Amino acid sequence: MYTEYTEYMKDGFFIAQTDKRPIYLQIMEQIKQRIAVGDWTEGQGIPSIRQLAADAGVSVITVKRAYLELEREGVIVTHQGKGSHVGSNAGLGTKIREQELDQHLAQAARLGTLMGLGPEDLEKRLRAAQDRLARSEEEFV
Amino acid sequence: MKGTIIRHLILKDLRLHRQQIYITLAAGAVALGVCQWGSEPALVVGSVWFFISLIMVGTMLPIGGIVNERKKQNLAFVMSLPVSSVQYTIAKIISTFGMFLAPWLTLVGAAILVIETRHIIPRGAIPMLLILAFMPLVAFWVMTAAALIGETEGWGIAANVACSSSYGLIWYFMTRNSALTAGMTKPAPVWNSAVLTVLGVEFALAAVLLGLTLYVQSRKQDFV
Amino acid sequence: MTDLAVKLDGVGKKYRFFQLEKICLKIPRGTIMGLIGPNGAGKSTTIRILMGLVHQDCGDVQVLGRRMPAEQVAAKWDIGFASEDMRLYDGMTLGWHMSFIQSIYPTWDTAYAQVLLKRFGVRAEQKIKGLSHGQRVKAALLLVLARRPKLLVLDEPTTGLDPVARHEILRELTAVMEDEDRTILFSSHHTQDVEQISDRITFIDRGRIIDSMDKEIYLDRWKRLRLEVPSGIEIPALPGIIGIKRTGRLAVAIANAFVPDLPNAYESSGARVQAVEDMTLEEIFVANVEHSREEVEA
Repeated sequence: MYTEYTEYMKDGFFIAQTDKRPIYLQIMEQIKQRIAVGDWTEGQGIPSIRQLAADAGVSVITVKRAYLELEREGVIVTHQGKGSHVGSNAGLGTKIREQELDQHLAQAARLGTLMGLGPEDLEKRLRAAQDRLARSEEEFV
Repeated sequence: MKGTIIRHLILKDLRLHRQQIYITLAAGAVALGVCQWGSEPALVVGSVWFFISLIMVGTMLPIGGIVNERKKQNLAFVMSLPVSSVQYTIAKIISTFGMFLAPWLTLVGAAILVIETRHIIPRGAIPMLLILAFMPLVAFWVMTAAALIGETEGWGIAANVACSSSYGLIWYFMTRNSALTAGMTKPAPVWNSAVLTVLGVEFALAAVLLGLTLYVQSRKQDFV
Repeated sequence: MTDLAVKLDGVGKKYRFFQLEKICLKIPRGTIMGLIGPNGAGKSTTIRILMGLVHQDCGDVQVLGRRMPAEQVAAKWDIGFASEDMRLYDGMTLGWHMSFIQSIYPTWDTAYAQVLLKRFGVRAEQKIKGLSHGQRVKAALLLVLARRPKLLVLDEPTTGLDPVARHEILRELTAVMEDEDRTILFSSHHTQDVEQISDRITFIDRGRIIDSMDKEIYLDRWKRLRLEVPSGIEIPALPGIIGIKRTGRLAVAIANAFVPDLPNAYESSGARVQAVEDMTLEEIFVANVEHSREEVEA
């Protein structure tokens, strides 16, 4: 039997302590995921800053910052006094995925530099990763 | 609002410590019963128990209600309520003294009634009964002042030891003072100047201790 | 009405072995302020002064627009205070305490109190002496929360608690902030709690306030830079860097006023910036305390 968590992860928002990134980035990512998978659709109203802070168990200022950044990226739109809703630009899901990819690539580039790898080495590793993924999918088919 | 919060604090103390009243009343009633057995040893034992029950309640209330409240860190809880330190002190004095006075008046009244109706000892003993009964009352104020002002368990214990060891000494002098004991065997109470002076001094001591406590508490800077 | 819930101005208090040095502190309404400091830094003294329990030697204290300690009675109607060294009456049940508080405060919310009993896993019939440490803390907090006070002042609310109890309490505190008119001040040396739930942070050490600001700005300003410095090259002293440690060709620099240009400045001096890392509040706390102690001693 699975536990249906009601108090912990009340609204599905959670902060991973193993995640070294700032809390506001984690909140941003979780909102983007909801939009990317289609749980939150274009034009849909989203929780107020204070409500989401209470649900996620984090400070108001952290959520405020996440919303500000999301607004800057065009992911959400905030009207003074009317709350926020999911932005209406077309292809938002793809755009968010692209941003996510960029973030991961930046991380890879950082690690690569740390390990002294050149662009060719990184490229080789990326190809290898793609091959592995393709192979594992074939096995399932 | 002021009256209300003091009332709340008094009611709270009453709920916390009212069993002290019942215990004292029960112990005092037993002591007065023993006094009436008819033999002289029973009278001595009964009288000693009677005074001990007054002494005990005069000690337990300041220690339990004031010293322990601080020692067990309940005071921070009380002071988080909308009260000032002066209001706290007033509520504490009223509740503690009230809980002391209720059994004290009842038992002393009952003792006088026993003397008046049962004729075990002459009525002339009533002034001495009052003099001796006032001593736990003065001791109560010494301990209450020490507990409120001194703030530590040490002060409470010191005051307790000082009072307890004084009883024997003061009893010794009182019962050997011919002016005080002269009327004890008379059929009616004798209110001579010696008796009145001692009662007056006891009363004044209690009043001074009360005034001192209120004065010092109202000037305190740090309360918890 | 001022929009500050708490305002301390030049507040000092002298003890025999400790001194609170003319501290200034502002807490805007509707925010959670986390007060961080080592043991004996002055957190409890500060909190007692703003509750009116201890009178300051100098300075001005205003809480919810009331001057302390003079107007403490009026202020305390709207303050909920719970501290680590506060105990309820051992021989009495939690329910007895609840009806005592309810009889005093008209704002007591019976329905919310019942919800809290359930959420915190405590029962009204239980005597306080039978409760575990965590249950006692939750009982004291329940008594405070169910009144819905405008300002919550909590001295070390999560110290010594197990993870579940800690989590329950942090949840409840963030839930309070759904109402934008309510304010929380809580002290802790558990930096992770402070990092998660507070809007603003105040660092206190040895009776002085080292820093007090917006948490997000704060976390952004502190960064750790990992540098590779070829031998023969001197690392330049740059503004915003409070400390640097070099071992051979590697060096770690700590910035307390990071700007995006900072890595470029290092690069142009011949060093190579391997990484710019975020710091946790705990790391910042330790670095900050060390730095400020050095500054005081210098």
